[in-house]
Amino acid sequence: MSQKNRLASGGRVDRAKALNFSYNGRQYPGFEGDTVASALLANGVDIVGRSFKYSRPRGIIAAGAEEPNAVLQVGATEATQVPNVRATQQSLFNGLVCSATNGWPNADLDLMGYVGKVGGRMMPPGFYYKTFMYPPSLWETYEKFIRKAAGLGRSSTERDPDMYDKVNHHCDLMIVGAGPAGLAAALVAARSGARVILADEQSEFGGSLLDTRETLNGRPAAEWVATVVEELKQHPEVLLLPRSTVNGYHDHNFLTIHERCTDHLGDKAPAGQVRQRMHRVRANQVVLATGAHERPLVFGNNDVPGCMQAAGVSTYINRYAVVPGKELVLMTTNDHAYQTALDWHDAGRKVVAIVDTRQNPKGDRIDAAKSRGLNIIAGSGVIEVQGSKRVTGVSIAPLNAAGDALAGAVERLGCDTVASSGGWSPVIHLSCHTGSRPEWRDDVIGFVPGKTVQKQHCAGGINGTYSLKAVLEEGARAGAAACEAAGFSDAAKGISLPLAEEVREGKAMALYHIPHTKPTSRAPKQFVDYQNDVTAAGIELATREGFESIEHVKRYTAMGFGTDQGKLGNINGMAVAAKSLNQTIPQTGTTIFRPNYTPVTFGAVAGRDCGALFDVNRFSAMHKWHLANGALFEDVGQWKRPWYFPQGGETMQQALDRECKATRESVGILDASTLGKIDIQGKDAREFLARVYTNAWAKLPVGKCRYGLMCGEDGMVFDDGVTSCLADNHFLMTTTTGGAPRVLEWLELYHQTEWPELEVYFSSVTDHWATMTISGPNARKLLGELTDIDLDRDTFKFMDLRQGDVAGVPARVFRISFTGELSYEINVQANYGLHVWEKLFEHGAKFNLTPYGTESMHVLRAEKGFIIAGQDTDGSVTPIDLGMSWCVSNAKPFSYIGKRGMAREDCVRTDRKHLVGLKTREPKTVIPEGAQAVNDPKQPIPMTMLGHVTSSYYSANLGHSVAMGFVRNGHNRMGETVFYPLADGRVIEAEICNPVFLDPKGERQNV
Amino acid sequence: MSDIIAPTKPAAVEAAPVATVALMDQLPSADIRAESPLYHADLATVAKQGPKTGGVTLQEHKLLGHLVIRGNQDNAGFLAGARAVLGFDLPTQPLTAAEDGALSVRWIAPDEWLVIMPGKEAFELENRLRAAMSGHVAIVNVSGGQTVLELSGPDARAVLKKSTPYDVHDRNFPVGKVVTTVFAKSQAVIRRTGEQNWELVIRRSFADYLWLWLQDACAEFGLVVKD
Repeated sequence: MSQKNRLASGGRVDRAKALNFSYNGRQYPGFEGDTVASALLANGVDIVGRSFKYSRPRGIIAAGAEEPNAVLQVGATEATQVPNVRATQQSLFNGLVCSATNGWPNADLDLMGYVGKVGGRMMPPGFYYKTFMYPPSLWETYEKFIRKAAGLGRSSTERDPDMYDKVNHHCDLMIVGAGPAGLAAALVAARSGARVILADEQSEFGGSLLDTRETLNGRPAAEWVATVVEELKQHPEVLLLPRSTVNGYHDHNFLTIHERCTDHLGDKAPAGQVRQRMHRVRANQVVLATGAHERPLVFGNNDVPGCMQAAGVSTYINRYAVVPGKELVLMTTNDHAYQTALDWHDAGRKVVAIVDTRQNPKGDRIDAAKSRGLNIIAGSGVIEVQGSKRVTGVSIAPLNAAGDALAGAVERLGCDTVASSGGWSPVIHLSCHTGSRPEWRDDVIGFVPGKTVQKQHCAGGINGTYSLKAVLEEGARAGAAACEAAGFSDAAKGISLPLAEEVREGKAMALYHIPHTKPTSRAPKQFVDYQNDVTAAGIELATREGFESIEHVKRYTAMGFGTDQGKLGNINGMAVAAKSLNQTIPQTGTTIFRPNYTPVTFGAVAGRDCGALFDVNRFSAMHKWHLANGALFEDVGQWKRPWYFPQGGETMQQALDRECKATRESVGILDASTLGKIDIQGKDAREFLARVYTNAWAKLPVGKCRYGLMCGEDGMVFDDGVTSCLADNHFLMTTTTGGAPRVLEWLELYHQTEWPELEVYFSSVTDHWATMTISGPNARKLLGELTDIDLDRDTFKFMDLRQGDVAGVPARVFRISFTGELSYEINVQANYGLHVWEKLFEHGAKFNLTPYGTESMHVLRAEKGFIIAGQDTDGSVTPIDLGMSWCVSNAKPFSYIGKRGMAREDCVRTDRKHLVGLKTREPKTVIPEGAQAVNDPKQPIPMTMLGHVTSSYYSANLGHSVAMGFVRNGHNRMGETVFYPLADGRVIEAEICNPVFLDPKGERQNV
Repeated sequence: MSDIIAPTKPAAVEAAPVATVALMDQLPSADIRAESPLYHADLATVAKQGPKTGGVTLQEHKLLGHLVIRGNQDNAGFLAGARAVLGFDLPTQPLTAAEDGALSVRWIAPDEWLVIMPGKEAFELENRLRAAMSGHVAIVNVSGGQTVLELSGPDARAVLKKSTPYDVHDRNFPVGKVVTTVFAKSQAVIRRTGEQNWELVIRRSFADYLWLWLQDACAEFGLVVKD
């Protein structure tokens, strides 16, 4: 198939490199250097999608990031699907497969289109709010169809085969945009020796210079671009990033850039290459040279395919050698857009008319049009377009001088393309991201960046500066100023800017919305925001319904909500709202923009933080053994802890029963390396402990261990653990596995801010020590085979610690117990952890040494009524609530953290929720954790809830379930019954009891 | 006017004698197998069988002695004692290091340094430091809790740029500088030891994650493992 709109020569496409691609299942040819949009236009494809609400056919309007309609689904395979790709930004490659995103069943023949045609007036703004709100239960039914009709694209259902990456940068200057202003700034900065990053979203640097017919130094502008880029490449401190969109400008000059590294090469990245990369840039100075987007005008049926932005038409002709039609009508409010008619005419196609809204336009480009004999119709506007799938003609009419009313008879002209220009809107999005409010300038007829708190410089189109000469000068000045601010002072020396043509231009007219013979509400649809189908009539309706703030108008009409973020429509929408409210645009105000400037793929956001690298997995020194012995793992914080060790075909419960019984009957072993361990040294260590724990530490002798509770200032328990006195000024604190970093921070916080006079240092030794706990009646016998430590029950007592060799490795052994059994916690330097662990098993076989994981640990400690901070506490319980008043000492000379909190009126009530034991009436029944206690299960809902179950297990050792939970006033209700009504209708009855179910006198651990 | 209660400084006391802390030689005899944090990765075999050329070279300097030293720079007895034992001054300039042969010291914080030496020397050095230093001082043996990785080669810096938000450019990170910072989703003490050489001190429990991370981050440049 021929490319009927392709010119025989010109443009920046490489005709020697023919490419094929598929759009909506049909094959089309194109050339290297094309975007998908230019290739579609070259092939005469008019319709690229259906509109959001009315399902009207839509064509390509623009040539850049501002394109609202040509939003495609790209991907040759299921795994490589990418939604929301703008055809104007996707470089063409051989074999590219794409399809229109919206359009159901397809864009050309769309069933939904009838809704738009027949029921146009049936879908005013707020239609979805008004129609689909009720009944709420049906929303899920509506949603399915609305989503499908809305055409938001779809993500792949398979794993993305490509690699994505993130990289951090620091630079002196971050220059956004490599058009004339950005290039001039980069040249200045590069020569100063500053570290420079220059990013541009297009495949080539040059911006507007790639499609301009203006010259620099009398030569095509692109030649100057090539020279500058060549020089920039030679500077070692300059990083050039083409195909890289600066999508976010965040606080402290932090910017995020989305680089599409291989999206132009194929459906998948070549082997070993990163497809897309997120650059995270911390810049000393930022130069915004983002240019401007041309605004189309708002008139009747201005969305019919063939209606385009004038500058976009010029880009297609000059850069891609594509003339997207045969007969052009141009409507403009300014001189610049005449260039589009000149380009069209010079390409050998017919310019039907230039319709200028101004009464008496004058300027160099107008003279050029006249000299070519083009038909200029001044003081008029295109009020309406004819055609449905392509423009067939226009109605034009004279305008009054203000442009707000028609001043004569309507005339019809035949054409297939309508280009319009209402002037330019500076691309201020990035400036807005940082919270800067834009400012309106009447001379620019647009918003420019306002005051900023960032180290930000702006140059060129973003400032409303459009003459090439002025843009280059501003760019160089901004580059020099930024260099100066970054400490590179003599930057601007030796820079000579190329000579630009001077073009005389007449004054542009501030006009956005072309009047019609009928009132706006009755006229054919005049689109403001194409992507969300927002019309001028809709905005007027919104203001009539009382939405006067532009933010409310935006939300009511959805203007600017699409993936194009209202790049083309926002100013026109504000102008329509302002006119309707009889005020100016600055009085109406503007909505501002948030990141991201254009959509970013999830791949680039995730980078390498996926799969095995999604989060850190921390392992103990014995992990390899756990793996080899069939452990299943539980995530505790970032740690992978053995959960239980099933054997053969055991169920989880069978494994737990076996592990728990073996421990109580002989000996079990737990890898406790993950517990937080903090080495504390200094002469005030003991005093410090007394202040952060609730209990007393003054008299703890050397060689003894003590359990402690830590509370926040509010008196609520946040962590617990055993701390041992290694020497007078030396302690080893243990914390919960998940609480370790927080506890260390807590100690440092109090030391550094409250008690800096205390001489004490804290160091984390969590990773240094491998910790294994052997527990059970045979623990002493087992350890005795491997150690030189005297294990005599009367010399190495419960809560003592000893130092000696275990399996030939120097160890600290603590006689502490979380199971209630005779237990020894062995600590060795972690490099020897696995050696000692394996030796214990070599000697442990005869004692049936059984490894157990966190789940059995939970059961064993619950049998003893020991709490787990974080499971049996939730930040709202005091030590008293836990029944642990024995662990609180109010006799300490200095206060301790939580003392005042615990003394608050609400905390000293005697009927707070208390932690109690719960014995089910039916012994085998295990109450689900989280179940709520009530006094009367027959009470109508909502019942009076008394507290929830925090820990609940089946105990094989006891032959019945054990549970702990909170019950209001529970400590004073021992022996009473509470009920647990469950979601499935069952009600479990339980007796409130002491939480120590096994060995209440502690005889087993004191043997 | 608000009442400001000045913290009461406890009366000065004599330097704590050595016996107030628990000293412990933690190393067993040499015939007992020691497993560094990356023992399971079997880097020796990877080095033997893996590629011999690439943009990044990774080597684990394992089983070294790691001592954390804490002390106040205003305490002359602390600084002088350190100098007497180390043979050079503790680097008090933030983000710097000092070394002499196999003995190296990294500034970690205004009152914290990390000393690394051959593994067998840690206990003796701790004893000598404790004997030589006076006043409020802490020394903690953390040898089992961390390991040292060296990244080198022309693309080592590119790997660092993927891994840490800290600026590793020559102008900000000259040879000799030390920074404790974020590394991937973990942390590392990064020291630049040469034009193309970077030392990472990482924690044991994070070692496997970082090994996975580094293999992944180095893949595009080619990773050579050195034993």
